[in-house]
Parts: sequence; C-alpha cells; structure tokens
Amino acid sequence: MDAATTLAPLAGRVRRGRRVADRTLRIGCTLATVIGAVVLGSILLMLIVQGLRGFTPALFTQPTPGPGSEGGGIANAILGSLVLTAIGIAVATPVGVMAGTYLAEYGRTSRLADVIRFLNDILLSAPSILIGLFVYTLMVRPMGSYSGWAGGVALAIIAVPVIVRTTEDMLRLVPGQLREAGAALGAPPSVVITSVTWRAASAGIVTGIILALARIAGETAPLLFTALNNNSWFSANLMGGVANLPVMIYQFALSPYPNWQGLAWAGALLITATILALSIVARLVIKPQRSR
Amino acid sequence: MNAASAISTVELSRNKAEAGRAVRIAVKDLNFYYGSFHGLKGIDLDFHDRQVTALIGPSGCGKSTLLRCFNRIYSLYPEQRAEGQILLDGKNILDSSVDLNELRSRVGMVFQKPTPFPMSIYDNVAFGLRLYERLPRSELDGRVEEALRKAALWDEVKDKLKQPGTGLSGGQQQRLCIARTVAQGPEVILFDEPTSALDPISTGRIEELIEQLRDEFTIAIVTHNMQQAARISQFTAFMYLGELIEFGPTERMFMNPTQRRTQDYITGRFG
Amino acid sequence: MPALTQSIALSEPRAAARKGPSRGLDATFRTISFGAALLVLLVLAGILGSIIYGGWPAFREFGFGFLTSSAWNIGTEQYGALVAVIGTVASALLALLIGVPVSLGIAVFLTQLCPGWARKPVAMTIELLAAVPSIIYGMWGLFVFAPLFARFVQIPVSNLVEGMPVIGTILYARVPSGVGVFTAGIILAIMIVPFIASIARDMLDQIPTVLRESAYGIGCTTWEVVRHVLVPQAAVSIIGAIMLGLGRALGETMAVTFVIGNANRLSASIFDPSSTIASRIANEFNEADGMQLNALMALGCILFVITFIVLIIARLLTRRVRAA
Repeated sequence: MDAATTLAPLAGRVRRGRRVADRTLRIGCTLATVIGAVVLGSILLMLIVQGLRGFTPALFTQPTPGPGSEGGGIANAILGSLVLTAIGIAVATPVGVMAGTYLAEYGRTSRLADVIRFLNDILLSAPSILIGLFVYTLMVRPMGSYSGWAGGVALAIIAVPVIVRTTEDMLRLVPGQLREAGAALGAPPSVVITSVTWRAASAGIVTGIILALARIAGETAPLLFTALNNNSWFSANLMGGVANLPVMIYQFALSPYPNWQGLAWAGALLITATILALSIVARLVIKPQRSR
Repeated sequence: MNAASAISTVELSRNKAEAGRAVRIAVKDLNFYYGSFHGLKGIDLDFHDRQVTALIGPSGCGKSTLLRCFNRIYSLYPEQRAEGQILLDGKNILDSSVDLNELRSRVGMVFQKPTPFPMSIYDNVAFGLRLYERLPRSELDGRVEEALRKAALWDEVKDKLKQPGTGLSGGQQQRLCIARTVAQGPEVILFDEPTSALDPISTGRIEELIEQLRDEFTIAIVTHNMQQAARISQFTAFMYLGELIEFGPTERMFMNPTQRRTQDYITGRFG
Repeated sequence: MPALTQSIALSEPRAAARKGPSRGLDATFRTISFGAALLVLLVLAGILGSIIYGGWPAFREFGFGFLTSSAWNIGTEQYGALVAVIGTVASALLALLIGVPVSLGIAVFLTQLCPGWARKPVAMTIELLAAVPSIIYGMWGLFVFAPLFARFVQIPVSNLVEGMPVIGTILYARVPSGVGVFTAGIILAIMIVPFIASIARDMLDQIPTVLRESAYGIGCTTWEVVRHVLVPQAAVSIIGAIMLGLGRALGETMAVTFVIGNANRLSASIFDPSSTIASRIANEFNEADGMQLNALMALGCILFVITFIVLIIARLLTRRVRAA
C-alpha cells in the first residue's frame, strides 16, 4: 500500500455534516451573545434617550405632581427610596451577617444548619411578590395602613438571603489555620470570629451587602402592598405610605399623562444607573481580595 | 556504620541534652481518635523544661496530631477526641474542667504556614495581650516591642508597625507569628513544621530563633527535616503509624538508635 | 539571664489575670448568630403561613374547583385560578424555550469561542443584565419591544397563518397590540438568560482543560467537543440552573404585569393577552377585599407551591454537583 491510498480517506474524515454542525454552533453562539449585548444596549439607550429629557433640577427638588398637572419632580420618591432601602439594609445586614456566620463557623456539621442553608438558597430566589403578601399580613393589616416600616421590612427580607449566602461563602474561604491560630492564642470563638475571620473576609462580606443593596433598590412588587406610595412632599412619616421610585415608576409609566410618563422615565434612568453603578462597585471591591 | 552518617557530628554536638531538667509535660497512655480512626496509640512521653523536643516520623505518623493535643486545638473539630492524660506541671489538661482559652494562653502554637491576622503588625502582636490583660498604652507598646525583639523582628518592622502584617515576607510573617505567641508569655511553645513553607535563609533564622527561645520556653517541634531536628533539638521522638517507636536525647537517637525502624528512617531508607 | 527572670517575674500576676474573657459573652454571640439563622427559617414559614391563612377562605369556598375554574368575576364573587395558572406556566415555559438555547450559546461562546481579551467585558455585560430591575424590563417590553413586535411579527404572522389548522389558532392575534403571553415569554427569557448563562459558564469553566484538549487532540470540532465532552460533564448543574431560571420566570411580577395584557380569558393563541398569578396579584391586590382578597392569597399559595417545587429541584441538582 502506498502513501497516497492511506492518506486519501483522511481528507474526507471531516465530513460535511460535521463542518456544518460546527459552523452552526459557532454562528449560533456568537449570535446569542450579540443578541444579549444588543438587548442590554437597547435598554440602556431607551433609558438614556427617554430619561435624560426629564433630568431637570426640578426632578430633585419638587415632589410628584398631581394627575394631569404639569411640572413637578420626584424628590419625595427619591427620598422615600433612600429611606426604605436604608431601613432594609440596616435590618438585613446584622441578621444576614450573623446568620451567615452561624452557618460557616458553628453549623458546619449540624443538620439544622444544612436545612437552613438549603432554605436560604430557596428564599434567595423566592418570588418577591409573596414576600409582599407576607409583610402585608404581618404588618400592614394589623397596623391598619400601608407604612414605610412595612416596606423596609419587606426589602430586608429580600436582602437577608443574599447577605447570608455571600457571608457564608466568604467566611468559608478563610483558611482554617487562621482560626486555629486565633484559638491557639487562647481567644474564644467569638473573638476569633469578630476580630480575625470577619476581618479576613471583610471585602467579600461588603460585596455581598452592596449586591443586596443593588437587589432591593429596584424591587417593586413587595412595595406595592407595603409602602405603596404617597404623593405628598415630606413623606418621611414611616407610619404611613411612603413614596418610592419603583412604585412611582410603575404607576406613572402606565398612566395616561405624558408628564407623569416623563417622570417615570427619568426615575427609571436614575434607578438603573444607581444599581448598575452599585453592581460595578461590588465587583471592584472583591477584586483586590482575590488577587491577594 | 554510623546510623547518622547524613548528620554531621558537629551539628549534633552543640545540642547535648541537659541532664536534670524537670519534666514539664508528661504524656501518659494517650490515645487519639479522628471519628473512628485511631490516630495515636498509647503514647507515653516526657517533655523537659526549657529543652527542644523534636517529633519526627513519616507523613501521617501522628506527630502533628500529638502536638495538637498539647493545646487541645483539635477540640475545634467535634469529631476529634483524645483519651488518656497529658500532665502540664502535674495537672491533666485533657480534663474537661480545664479552661481551654487559659490553657492556650499558656501553651502557644506556631503553624506550618505563617498565619498573620488581617490587621497591623502591632495589632497582631497585641492581639493575644489584649485578650487577657487590660494594659495601659505605654506598657502595651513595651510588651509588643519586647516580643518583637525576642522574635528577632523588631529592627525590620519598628518603622512600620501600623502596616498590615500580611504585607511582610514569608519568613518575617512567621517570626511575626512567633512574636505574637511569645508576647503572651506562654510556658510552652509548639511548632508545627514552622519552616516547611519557607526558603533556606528564612529557615536558618527561625532555627536560630528557636535556639534562643529555648532559654525561656519549653519547646516541641514537629519537623520533616532530620537535619533540622538534629540541629536544634535536645530530645527526639520518632513516631510511626500512630505509635511512639523511640524517644531519647537527640544525640543518642541519631548516633545509636536502638530500634531498627528509627535507624531506617533516619538514614533515609523509608519515609 | 535577664529575659528569663523577667518572664518568671511576670508570669505570676499574668496567670492570675488569665481568667480570660467571660464565657457569657461567647455564649451570647453564639446564641445571637443561631437566632439570626433561625430567623431565615421563620421567615419562610411565615410566608407560607400567611398566604395559607389568607387563602384559606377561598379554598374552603371553592374547594378543588378553584384550580379548574376559569371564572374571575368580582361582581358574582366567583373565582378560579385556571387562567392565571395557565398563563404563568405558559409564559415561563416559553421563556425557557427561548432563553435556554440563548443562554447556553452565550456560555459556550464565552468559554470556547470568545477571544481572551473580550471575555471579561462580555461576561460583565451579560451579568449586568441580571442587575437591571425587573420594572425596567417591563417598560422596555411595553414601550420598545411590543410595538416593534406587533408590527414586524404579530401582524405578518397573523396574516400568514389565518385560516390554517392548529397554527392558525396558536399564532393568530385577534388584537395585534404586541402584548400577550408570547411577549411575556420573551421578556422573561431575556431576564433569565444572565442567570442561566453565568451558571452554565462557571460549570463549563470548571471542566478540566485536559479533557477539552484531549478531545481536540483526536480531531474533534468545537461542536463535537461541546456536544460530547462538555455538555455531558456539566449537564446536571446546567439543568439545575435552568430550573432556577424557571423558578424566577414563574414568580416574576413587574416585567410580566407590563406586557401580558392582564386579561382573564382562556385563549389558545399565544399572541393573546392573559394573566399570570403574580401579575393578577400585583394588579388587583390593593383594591381587593373580602373574597377577592382571599382568592388572591389562594393564588399566592399556588404560586408558592409551584415555584418551591421547582426551586427545590433546582437546588438539589446544583448542590449535588457542588458536593461532588
């Protein structure tokens, strides 16, 4: 047998069908990514084009106008959102960090901790509207009115699982020898945790809190039944309904008044820009720790 | 043929065991379990005051496990337990009434990899001090300096005490950990392969340091490096598969081991 | 030796001082952290408890018929879950149908095809999509996507298929407004793509390079490497990721409320408006009282059961891989 005959079949090895399948995959995958990028681009473009029109000083100084009237801003909604998010994070951070600490430091071998870990993962992706219904039953109905406190608690419930998960993951990355070194100096577990392990994992835990912040800043569904809305100016009375950006955007965007719609767009741009900035910051915070 | 042909007699001669030293730690019929695995089997061993005792043996022989009994650091892991007696100055530290935190402040430990805490150099050293004593700032400063001097680190870090301990080199980090341990004024210091993650120059400095610390502390060191054991220890214990095979003054262990397995290990026939 | 005497002199008062930090503090810390962890459990129980409590009167009134009735009549107080359940399931399944191939495509692109320099920015872009609040997707869907979809897809397709058997029903839009179950499916697909894509990418990244290289080494094309080497390796966790995406799609509220049309009507066409459980609760809850409120809570129970089954399966699948 000479070389030509042995080589001949080799040329035909890569059959046409294989080439076609391969090319289809390459084109398909690239296309999928392009679609993803185009959608994000289109959303951002829409927000910027529609939202920037409404960016006037009045946006930040005036409260929301009445139906059909001109002018006004969203200052009360911005303030309300800041307050609600602050309550949410202020409640969720200690609970989430402590619970994550329990799972990572004390509950490594306990079955109950396994169950809690599992349920926390589920709570992480539970429909937020159900959390709204829960807080409505828990707080709004007994207290007789929509309230800022209820809105803050609903947001806290959404933030807690995010913080629990990242705190636990980050504490688990801390080498065991560091804990042993702390214990070997005679430090009790609580001291080792608070002054050694927490510190070692601090960048990661902060990232988790920022991510939770980004998550709750745009949440709408749970606020519908808890904080609802309030068109009046200083709505910082937390015992009553509190204006907030997401619910304002929802109500104004679907309203028939162009002025309201314009304010909804401006609010949407503001909130998206804030959240994307937070997400990017979260990524930057965690970076130095990884490279170390 | 001399069993310790690899070890120079010059190195050994500096480390004559000093007779008549009191027994600081007495291990009596110690058994250790990882879950159902029997990690240490009936260990009987004495550690002498202000002497360096080296624990040698192949990987998995239980030498680190034994070391981890002396400060009961194993009790961080619920599935691990020790039975028998370890008498520290006559008191059994395996007794359940022993305050673990107090025990650990008397028995310090330095680990294989340097373990600086994520805080400044100063705070690293002060960490242990602050746990047990409320000291005025000036005295704390003095104690930190004293500890860093004893760990032969002071000159290198005196101008950057506020910088993070994690920014030091590996050898410096290890000396920082030694300073942190020394600062508490322990009676015993345990070294768990303290130089296995370091370069030869840093290793040399740590070894010198251990020799100096011997003036003040009772030292137990686990090492994989036989030359190191010969260089710095007065007593050597050879362990194999969870059992203590042979124990004695380092010089005798390396020159005239009585057990065949000790001789095989020291001359590099296995391990 | 000065150092020695000093240490002996010091060790006496030191030993006395060595009572150590109080044990009470330590126990308190542990108890607090345990309490915080228990709170997670309590919240979940509270969610379930509150909607069962709220929905109970509706279940008692309508019994099993609540699930099979398509009525939603506030005047006569007749309520049934069928339309909303079908809308929820249909829009979520459509989302998977569209979203899964795209997500896997992105994951393969990022791990196998993308040039190294572009990997990070592209991955970050996709992950940022996950951070955009759902209400923004709703606005984009209603104001940007729906008009285009009505003009370039619904109307031509409806004209084309009109009168045809089966597809003439499924793909016919009576009112080509751009909103409806299909639009909701597309918006949901866009929302779950980042989740599925990023998990799938992590899984593909974890597969040892050696495996990939040896497959290329015997002359496999990229398609064959993906099909025969990578996908089987990562299959279980990718299915877990898909289930996670499904869970999100089922429970998503705001985006769907904008684009589904909020009609209580059973229609065989996927271009027609409908409702999902979440969109109906969002729309009606604030004005509801009496039996309507109970019926909405009962819908919430059904949503809870559906999503939690899906999420439990998802977590079991992703976890098995994590443990291995």
